[in-house]
Amino acid sequence: MEQIIEQFPVVLKALNIGFLQTLKLFFVTLIGAFPLGLVIAFGSMSRFKPLSVATKLIVWVIRGTPLMIQLLIIYYFPGLVLHHPIWGGGETGRFLAASVSFILNYACYFSEIYRGGIQGVPVGQKEAGLVLGMTKTQIFYHVTLLQMIKRIVPPMSNEIITLVKDTSLARIIALQEVIWAGQAFMKGSQGISGAIWPLFFTAVYYLIFNGILTVLLGRLEKKLDYFK
Amino acid sequence: MPILEVEHIQKYFDRTEVLKDISFSLEKGQVLSIIGSSGSGKTTLLRCLNFLERPDKGIIRVKGETLFDAGDPATQQEAEIRKKRLHFGLVFQSFHLFPQYTALGNVMLAKELLAKGQPGYDARKKQAHKEIEEQAKELLQQMGLSDRMENYPHQLSGGQCQRVAIARALALQPDILCFDEPTSALDPELTGEVLKVMRELAEQNTTMVIVTHEMAFARDVASQVIFMDDGHILEQGDPRQVFENPKEERTRQFLSRFTQG
Repeated sequence: MEQIIEQFPVVLKALNIGFLQTLKLFFVTLIGAFPLGLVIAFGSMSRFKPLSVATKLIVWVIRGTPLMIQLLIIYYFPGLVLHHPIWGGGETGRFLAASVSFILNYACYFSEIYRGGIQGVPVGQKEAGLVLGMTKTQIFYHVTLLQMIKRIVPPMSNEIITLVKDTSLARIIALQEVIWAGQAFMKGSQGISGAIWPLFFTAVYYLIFNGILTVLLGRLEKKLDYFK
Repeated sequence: MPILEVEHIQKYFDRTEVLKDISFSLEKGQVLSIIGSSGSGKTTLLRCLNFLERPDKGIIRVKGETLFDAGDPATQQEAEIRKKRLHFGLVFQSFHLFPQYTALGNVMLAKELLAKGQPGYDARKKQAHKEIEEQAKELLQQMGLSDRMENYPHQLSGGQCQRVAIARALALQPDILCFDEPTSALDPELTGEVLKVMRELAEQNTTMVIVTHEMAFARDVASQVIFMDDGHILEQGDPRQVFENPKEERTRQFLSRFTQG
């Protein structure tokens, strides 16, 4: 116990740095996957057959294989197989590769949520807009968009919370996120070795962050509760 | 000159012919009731008038202007169709109010979007908004909904929703107001309040095309009745003649359920 109290400040500092990397990956993924998911959703709903088939194929592969494998392939494939490393070395390169993998993976999941949201708005809403002389763009922005968002928020909240925890997978390509930082104290780092509690303690970070997200997303859901 | 002329409309869904050579015309201020059993093509006909479906053959004219001619692609351009739709209003069976807007918001939305597209809108934005709001309030008042303007659709009864939908359609001042079984989703009590406002509209000489199963209403309010069966207009004429003295056996059969009941 005494030892833990002694180690605590050092560990906390290291874990904070690690969690910052976790947060960075989390936000970069969201910022990239939100719009890309919409593009993929429109692709899979396209009336142009080759496009919709190709998009659905990509979504099937990405959703059907582990994110961890995708990380490994995206990070190592260019260098080891094509002998043309594109990510560069070091933490920056790893972060870049992780971001691309996460954005691609999550965009595919988001696209299915978007699709559900778009197709869930009754056709009657669009028709009502049309007979009132609205353009398709006007109907999208003024009629269907908010109804879509309302439908999307609950499943999206689920994915977002899963994403927080999934960021830990980036450890497989040695991205120094919070679990990596906690595990370092087992092997030995900054004069501490054989300590397992920092690894376990990382869970607290996830728990607190997800707690905050749950509250915020819950509020958003409530805000959209004024219409049915 | 009739306000609405429909000539030889034909419509297929895949290979099924749902409208077979439909022709009729309507004078300004008249009410046309379309009756007939489900699946006879009544709704499809209304949807063709509102350009929600495209007829495979035929011509639609409003005030002498050819709005649609299946044989003339120039009449079928997307941007033009949007403007042509404004000649018609459509009240749906299940209202299709916009759930995220209040009753007032529902009535105002389309008109405001339309005003935004006009030149010089920015200069008189506030004024325009005020005028549109005034007009919308007046319409809702006319529908007996003065105390419901700030309510959202889910807070309204079906009858109130349908009256908001009528006000919404009227806000754009269409030449011809179409109703697609406006009371079929309502219980008898609420049906009455919707029919009442429609009766009032008829008294104000609003030109209307009404698809309905309310036979008493069709007989009393309509200036002209069309009986449709299997995509055809089987009988057409003065309501008294169609209801009391139908020429066709099929019409008699269809109406017997109503006259007995």
